[in-house]
Amino acid sequence: MLLNVKELTKVYGQFCADCLLLTGVEQNTTICPRCKSVIAINRVNFSLKGNEVLGIVGESGSGKSTLLQLIYQDIKANSGQIIYNGLSTTQDTGFDLLDCTTTERSFLRNIEMSMIYQSPTLGLNYLFSAGGNVAEKIIGSGERRYKVIRERVIRLLKRLELPDSRVDDYPDAFSGGQQQRIQIAKALSSSPKLLLLDEPTTGLDLSVQAKLLDLIRELQQEMSFAMIVVSHDLGVINHLTDVTMVMKHGSLVEYGLTDQILEDPQHPYTQLLVSSIL
Amino acid sequence: MIKRVFAFIDEDAKKEIRRNLLKAVAIPGYIVPFSSREMPVARGWGTGGLQISLSLLQEDDCIKVTDQGCDGSVNAVNIRDFITSVSGVKATVNTRDATIIQTRHRIPEHPLTEDQILVFQVPYPEVLTMVEPDMAKQKQIHADSDYSKLWVLLYEDTSQYGDSRISNRYPVEINSHYMMDPSPIPKYDIARLNNSPALQLFGAGREKRLYAIPPYTRVTPLKFNDRPFIVEDFKGKSCKRCGAEGIFLDEIHTTGSVHYFCSDTEFCDNKLKEAKDAIER
Repeated sequence: MLLNVKELTKVYGQFCADCLLLTGVEQNTTICPRCKSVIAINRVNFSLKGNEVLGIVGESGSGKSTLLQLIYQDIKANSGQIIYNGLSTTQDTGFDLLDCTTTERSFLRNIEMSMIYQSPTLGLNYLFSAGGNVAEKIIGSGERRYKVIRERVIRLLKRLELPDSRVDDYPDAFSGGQQQRIQIAKALSSSPKLLLLDEPTTGLDLSVQAKLLDLIRELQQEMSFAMIVVSHDLGVINHLTDVTMVMKHGSLVEYGLTDQILEDPQHPYTQLLVSSIL
Repeated sequence: MIKRVFAFIDEDAKKEIRRNLLKAVAIPGYIVPFSSREMPVARGWGTGGLQISLSLLQEDDCIKVTDQGCDGSVNAVNIRDFITSVSGVKATVNTRDATIIQTRHRIPEHPLTEDQILVFQVPYPEVLTMVEPDMAKQKQIHADSDYSKLWVLLYEDTSQYGDSRISNRYPVEINSHYMMDPSPIPKYDIARLNNSPALQLFGAGREKRLYAIPPYTRVTPLKFNDRPFIVEDFKGKSCKRCGAEGIFLDEIHTTGSVHYFCSDTEFCDNKLKEAKDAIER
């Protein structure tokens, strides 16, 4: 297993003793009636294999993106464990992301995993050129030779179908779809073992969406990294993922093979979700 | 009658500055905040360097103050006069005789020794301001020693202009951890920060920060492994006054022609004097 998530919990508010029991799917709320805290993630458990693609679906506010941000260490969890087994030296014991130092944290974020945000404005630095953005991640992974960095930047941007004549243009000179591709190039530049995608194609034109999804799928098979894809679009999930988990009110509702979940949903909420596809 | 304090600053303030200097020396390249008292000079006119010099000064010290290599500039003369008037210590223009050298934007040409302290006046202490304006994030970057943003700046300059566009205040790495702003010294002086026998102290009075490079510390400029670090080139040029070559020269444009002079006036004067002495002998 590359990643083991155990009893992961994230609470916004004072977090009283009854928070976790009084919220969730059965209680049909994320707000604790006693202390009014918001339980964004309520004791979530799952694991991910080496080059598996996991999809997370659920309605807005169900905690999908929060879960991703917790794994990427953008925000700190309240309790639970995120065990990462990707480091060869800690193969036996695993490495708890919640206990790591800031140095280890930046190592993990620079080399081991990458995040692709819904909006390129979150993932890109608009003061740096397109090439500079990709270079930042390559430099962060320890490379200090200009020629190597430059060649890798151009190769990656080319792979994502951006012309190499535009390497030194700034991100705001690109279209939305192109900006998203720059973001993907940046994320892949350190050859991560785990790629986190937060609604990667939402807000893009349908034709662009399809092309981008194909590209992501291709790259995943080519470089064989694990992915966690968050989306509320079941089409995206169906296209990209092997395994799917359904979330509601911060809790895990259903977990299984993507085909199984889409063809034969067990939980009433999943049934509703699948039947509501346009 | 009011008893005058030696070297202007009261003992408690001096103690605070010295303690912060000790911390700065203990963590090479780390920026230490300090209180930065009022000086009879406006902030931003060398008050950081002045406070360091005054807090270190002892009766048997000999002070030299230089401004971009020139001992005769208004700022240098006034700061030197101020220091001697409040402390009574000897002043000199001769780099060899000085025990404390306060400088603005240059390192004296004459090699320094273990017995000397070089005090830099610093306008902007934080090397990261150009890539990260958020102070909390700057601290985090320093703590993690994760300077990829500075490297991206170098990458972009290299890809678009062939080399870094930074001409002075060139970022340097101290003792393989902190990136530091060396104050606006030219690139020519960057190599001379490295492995210096003299203690080098940096004070920014307006920004209320000080930092240090202890003697014999490794100082390396920000540069790619496969690219050279290019400094100002004065090949084929020499000082019009003393004829010196291979040192940092000032370029003076007059109508129709360009002349070069030593940036370090003391070095130039010394060279002339040596030549004169040789003739007399």
